[in-house]
Amino acid sequence: MEHNNRIENILNSTIGMTQVIPSEDLFLKIQQRILYSTVVPIKTVWLVAASITILIIINLSISASRPIDKTSSSAAYLELTINKSNQLYQ
Amino acid sequence: MIAKQLHFEKIYHEYKTLVFNLALNYLQNLEDAEEITQDVFVKVYHFLQNFNQKSSLKTWIYRITINQCLDCIKHKNSQKRFFIFGKKSQNEQEYLNTPSFEHPGILMEKQEDAQILFEVINTLTENQKTAFLLSKLDGMSNPEIADIMQLSISSVESLLFRAKNTLKEKLATKFEINRKKK
Repeated sequence: MEHNNRIENILNSTIGMTQVIPSEDLFLKIQQRILYSTVVPIKTVWLVAASITILIIINLSISASRPIDKTSSSAAYLELTINKSNQLYQ
Repeated sequence: MIAKQLHFEKIYHEYKTLVFNLALNYLQNLEDAEEITQDVFVKVYHFLQNFNQKSSLKTWIYRITINQCLDCIKHKNSQKRFFIFGKKSQNEQEYLNTPSFEHPGILMEKQEDAQILFEVINTLTENQKTAFLLSKLDGMSNPEIADIMQLSISSVESLLFRAKNTLKEKLATKFEINRKKK
């Protein structure tokens, strides 16, 4: 019973609580922060994101559409290895 | 530009006490409450033109304040962790473990009880705490809280019911432990 009363007292301890008024100079501080803060507009953020996405798509589409020439690449590799292995008298 | 400034000034004077008190009840620290009030109004200034009138200005400002408070608690908790050995906090208790906080708006004879109450409120979950503070300390109705928290009225009722029960249980446990110690 005593415990219950104590709990009720604690739960009701905020009854009659008054509002606290913030300090007078708070508005000046806010104005200072607004003056020195820069915000990137959402439009700019979207433009940058769209540009990056387009660049990635272009890169992927180019690399996917280019056919891999196996004969020319293997010939080039052979040429390279022969040239390297023949350099005996440098 | 001047019109925007005047409009902002009007909003500031209308909502400064609301924002400051909500932040103070949430964080239980005067400096932090002032810092949060600044953050909230800087955001309000920058995003006022994007504010779509879907909800009221008051609701929008309440939401910004609550989110700023939660971010502040998370930030402080993450700062408290020691490198990799630190344990990630599960609730706000770590940062808000400030039993010595004396709320300037509470009567002198009720300060001791209020300190205990705030200590226990900080152990509630985020949603329970928000609903409880808005209801009990800001005196808001359940539909208003539901609008701010973007929940249904029945969910708010449930949150408040569970918050009150949890508070009662925790206070009872606290007294039981104290009694055994004596």
